[in-house]
Amino acid sequence: MNHRPFEDWLLAEEPLTSEQKTDLQAHLRTCASCTALAEVNVALRVAKSVPPAPEFNARFQSRLAARRSAQRRRNFWGIFVLVASAMALLLWLTLPYLLWAIRSPMEVFITWITTLSFIFTSLLAYGWAGSVILRVASDFIPTYIWVTIFALTGLFGLLWVASIRKFANLTEGA
Amino acid sequence: MTEEMDWIIQSQQGNDEAFAQLVTVYQTPVYNLCYRMLGEPEAAEDAAQESFLRAYQNILRFDRQRSFATWLLSIAAHYCIDRLRRRRFTSISIDDDDEEHPMELPDQSALNPETETARREEQEQLHKVLRSLEATDRAAIVLRYWYDFSEVEIAESLSLTVSAVKSRLHRARRELAKRWQEEQPHSHLERSPHESPAF
Repeated sequence: MNHRPFEDWLLAEEPLTSEQKTDLQAHLRTCASCTALAEVNVALRVAKSVPPAPEFNARFQSRLAARRSAQRRRNFWGIFVLVASAMALLLWLTLPYLLWAIRSPMEVFITWITTLSFIFTSLLAYGWAGSVILRVASDFIPTYIWVTIFALTGLFGLLWVASIRKFANLTEGA
Repeated sequence: MTEEMDWIIQSQQGNDEAFAQLVTVYQTPVYNLCYRMLGEPEAAEDAAQESFLRAYQNILRFDRQRSFATWLLSIAAHYCIDRLRRRRFTSISIDDDDEEHPMELPDQSALNPETETARREEQEQLHKVLRSLEATDRAAIVLRYWYDFSEVEIAESLSLTVSAVKSRLHRARRELAKRWQEEQPHSHLERSPHESPAF
């Protein structure tokens, strides 16, 4: 069956002339598919809005409060995890210093004394070892070698002082 | 300034009472849209509540130059479309749902019991065939016929082009007519005197 132009008229939903209406009515009496389209048009146009159950707003306010509470809990735990992580990192980085700081004053005093005595005895040992080496070396190194070593050392010392003065003058001149 | 705009501005400033007023005004349109889209009272209630929550959370983004109704119904329509698409993935049968959730339509303006029964049957049938439509087509039909949205407003609400809306509305109505015919293969329209004409 040819549905044109009746189907187009029904789909367009524009006002029809009385002649078009008559033609459409005649077509609808014989065409089931166009009748279904017309019925759907009517059903859609008379369809009513369905209201929600009573107290919708109160239920919404409850849901909003619950959502806010959940959001607050999420925020709290998020901040808690962040702060806890930062504190753990800070603790890990400062633990050696903290352990030192929390010792008793006597322990700290003993550590200082031990360190100072270690430095002192080390210096004594180095001095003693140096004097022994010098005494032993003086017996088998000839005098002219000593003179040469001291002369070269003095020369290098002079060169070092001269070069420093030169660089110092250059810096001032610039 | 209208009262509604005043509530919107106050809501944007964090006044919950003002937003509660908006909920009161728009609860039926939003619920009805969700009900027509999802087809079940429980799902519609949940979707309507969720739509209002989303509107509440995004109220600062609302452009006051636009229609609040269009914006709010757009949120609800998008939410329902997403929900229907997720539902399709979980393979829930629409036909099974029809049996479990028969339509409950209040009809305060019934002229007589016969008319009421006929209208209820027709509305139940419409509700059933509406659920056979694809989600976006269904949203377009609901916005067009229940809210008198223009094609431009539907396009704006559903993020479509106007030509796409026209095409979807035509296709959807053809599909509805086909399903309608399948539901009542031998019936013809018997329009009551008080009903709107089809053409």
